[in-house]
Amino acid sequence: MNASGERPPRDTAWRWLGWLWLGVLTLCAVWLGWMLRHGLPADTDLTALLPADRQVPLVEAADRKLGEGFEDRFLILLRADDRVAATQALGDALETLVDGRQLARVDWRELDLADADPHDWMGPWRYRLLTPAWQQAIARDGGESLVEPALRRLFSPAARPDPVADPFGLLDAWLARQPQSPIDAADGLLTLDAQGQHYSVLIGRLAGSPYALPMQQALHATLERFQQAHPEAQLLRSGLVFHAAAGARQARHEMSTIGAASLLGVLLIIGFVFRSPRVLAQLLVPLVTGSLFALALTLGLFGRLHLLTLAFGASLIGIAIDYVLHLQCDRAIHGRAFRLRRLLPSLTLGLISSVIAYVAQALTPMPGLRQMAAFAAFGLIGAWLTVVLWLPRFKLHASPFTARLAERWWRLCQPRRRLPPWLALVLALGLIVLCTLRLTSDDSLALLNPSPAALMHDEAQVQQLLDRDTGSRYFLVRADDTQALLTRLAALDQRLDRAIAAGLAIDYQSLGRSVPSAAEQDANLARVRTLYGAPLESLIQRAGLPADLAQAARARLDDAPRLTLTDWLATPLGQLQQRLWLGQTESGEVATSVVVSGARSAAIADQLSAIANAQPGVVYVDRVARIGTLLGELRRHTAAWIAAAMALMTLALIWRYRGRAWRVVAPPFGATLIVLAVFALTGVPLNIFNQLGLLLVLGIGLDAGIFNVEYARQPSAWLAITLSTLTSLLAFGMLAFSATPALHYLGLTCLIGLASVWLLVPWVRPREPASASNAPKAPKAHSEENSHA
Amino acid sequence: MPQPDLAHRAHRLLSLLLACLCLAAPLSAYAFDLATLQQRLAQTPSLAGKFTQQRRLADLGTSLDSSGNFRFVRGQRVVWQLERPVEERIELTPEAIVNGSGDRTPPGGEQVARLFLQLLEGDWQALASRFEIALAGDAEAWQVTLTPKAKALRERISSIALDGGRYIDHLTLRTPGGDTLAVRLYDQHPLSGDAP
Repeated sequence: MNASGERPPRDTAWRWLGWLWLGVLTLCAVWLGWMLRHGLPADTDLTALLPADRQVPLVEAADRKLGEGFEDRFLILLRADDRVAATQALGDALETLVDGRQLARVDWRELDLADADPHDWMGPWRYRLLTPAWQQAIARDGGESLVEPALRRLFSPAARPDPVADPFGLLDAWLARQPQSPIDAADGLLTLDAQGQHYSVLIGRLAGSPYALPMQQALHATLERFQQAHPEAQLLRSGLVFHAAAGARQARHEMSTIGAASLLGVLLIIGFVFRSPRVLAQLLVPLVTGSLFALALTLGLFGRLHLLTLAFGASLIGIAIDYVLHLQCDRAIHGRAFRLRRLLPSLTLGLISSVIAYVAQALTPMPGLRQMAAFAAFGLIGAWLTVVLWLPRFKLHASPFTARLAERWWRLCQPRRRLPPWLALVLALGLIVLCTLRLTSDDSLALLNPSPAALMHDEAQVQQLLDRDTGSRYFLVRADDTQALLTRLAALDQRLDRAIAAGLAIDYQSLGRSVPSAAEQDANLARVRTLYGAPLESLIQRAGLPADLAQAARARLDDAPRLTLTDWLATPLGQLQQRLWLGQTESGEVATSVVVSGARSAAIADQLSAIANAQPGVVYVDRVARIGTLLGELRRHTAAWIAAAMALMTLALIWRYRGRAWRVVAPPFGATLIVLAVFALTGVPLNIFNQLGLLLVLGIGLDAGIFNVEYARQPSAWLAITLSTLTSLLAFGMLAFSATPALHYLGLTCLIGLASVWLLVPWVRPREPASASNAPKAPKAHSEENSHA
Repeated sequence: MPQPDLAHRAHRLLSLLLACLCLAAPLSAYAFDLATLQQRLAQTPSLAGKFTQQRRLADLGTSLDSSGNFRFVRGQRVVWQLERPVEERIELTPEAIVNGSGDRTPPGGEQVARLFLQLLEGDWQALASRFEIALAGDAEAWQVTLTPKAKALRERISSIALDGGRYIDHLTLRTPGGDTLAVRLYDQHPLSGDAP
């Protein structure tokens, strides 16, 4: 393993450290294996990235409850000329998935969703439920104006009049105000009639997670087969399972195109330069060990891991490729004359400056950033240890070609002029001005949404056809007990009704519309008693019914029970509203949501917030805006801490390099400015993901800056810088072609940033070898090397 | 296009006549099936007439009687114009029931409207998914009886009876509670042209 074949005492100590590191990693692996025996404890919920005191548990609960229907079931709308036969075919095909236990059940036949008639189960409650219009009518004239409509209703061929139980049709009037399912039955199928079209409705309930791959594949195959057999049929899909499946398919597709291209590119370049497949394996060892070390320590520290942490943390460890390449280039060129000692200061400085940036991030109050920073810092330290302790012991077949290539490449890339500091400063100031004037930001939820446009279109169309909201805007209403809650709901509903009457283009779903408070129900019963006075007698007389009927009708009012919330939620209609009910909260209160649908605008949001603020115990929540705010907060925090880390790093570098420090920071800072300026000019908005990309650019740029100044006259350093930016470009820059917005922005930043780093390095290279502080060290280091040899 | 339509009708009449001449009476009654009845009813695309409606309420031993006129356009709508004891215009389409003030009442009324339209049209194929259908009589005096198949529907309707000749003359709907809705259609005449 030892290239020199000799074992001086210090080398033995080094060797022991290497073995110790192997022990640590083995421990990490064993511990990780034990931790992960039940799978990775990973969070996917974005809000888990935020400070704990900012997470309102009740909002989370409401989000979950409202999202349930979207997650555990799916809905397909089918339109075809031969609708009945096509639906039959698809329904039967989906039933086979139920038999195969992939789905829990499929509803598509007429009777699958048949409920009993509301007249049967709402019967005894009807005398205590009145619509506002009826309340007003009774208040106006005791209900005389309600006689004429009641008379018409009694003689309608379609009505089912019941002159004793409900001569005025109280229940029908009340039911007309309740949310109705637009899904109906026709031709023996569940049917939706909308926009002049008949759609068959097929509702599937998943047996397990929407992310289960076998189920996704079975469902996908079933639908594909159906489309092949019925090419004329139009399918509209809605449900998380379709989005999850599309995401998985896209990831697989990109892995086999973008991923394969990157890998092939890296293989070709490394193979070309080092002429040895071994180097490639050695490139991976530090990355793998670094990830292992980071995963174990981060999990140990936080207990859980966010998927975003894992994805971006693993990317950031990619900076470690620098260490490997600098080491291997130096070894390949110097052969037996290679000494780790000479490289160690720069490698260490590179590590420290990157780690400083992450430690700064780890101090932020955002758990998400802290996790990510910890993961990246541990990963870099792990990779660095592997590079320093292990790599020199691995065999490297130094090809004379590598040295020749480095020399030729070095001569080829000598710029005729250098960049004077004042020009650099002017250019930097110019770019800063450009950025402040033109740069925009975007924190919209769409960034996190990788679903293809066609599927999003389907989803929007289904929501529109079904007149269904996604539950993304709602009021959260809390109170000490159910009666207080119902009173609060009634007040909120009243405000909303007034605003709607005044032109607010929304609709809402509230339990308050269905269940009045006990006091209100008593008042309603008193109103009905008024109605059952003279107006009832007039109705009976005009309809030609026997006069003693009035007495029988009034007798029904005597033991009319109150409708409780529990009663209502158990009825078939109430079950549709169960998603609104949050029940008892941890603080002993009761809570419910009031879901808003309809038009969306900033003005409407303001008005809704104002309505909520006018009442105690009511808050307005806009899920989309909330996630946008969270993303924005995450972005601003990252930006602030990156800036702080940059300042801190600059100070450290000035302390070491004095007047040359600007040459070290020019590649990373210059590349950052170029990226931002390109974004500003082309109108690409700044978001959390391209900022994470900037972290990567900064890390690699800084390493390049340090090595560029430390080894200004060494072709091997320039070759290593070239290789490291090129391989990182291939690994991360290629992600710019991904269809997933998050990856696309990360990739785009790396593409521009890393190319800028590479282009900037030769222009700021010092003319003289090494810095003044480094000069006296060189001979000393050389003499130590000699003593080892 | 009155010319082809006339020719079509003449041809149909001729073949019917021929069938009557060639076959014995019981046999011709046997040949009269639901499809033939549907075709026969379909020969009148739109129709107007008067109605009386009597809803007998078994519990009360009394009835709600009304009368008025109607207009029926096959496959589209029936307009039920109530004249006594109240004035009300009720329009039933496959999508909804709309009353004089333009309100869709009662909620879920489209099911009832659709059933009513299917009965007036004699759309037996559509009805067969929910009802057992029995036919008796001949082309000039036929009776159709519908019995619900599903339990949920049997709880609301015990049977529906239709009878008539050229047109439907009576429609009787019985509920398990003993209530009866009896509709008599009379003074019926086809509307000129196919326009509603």
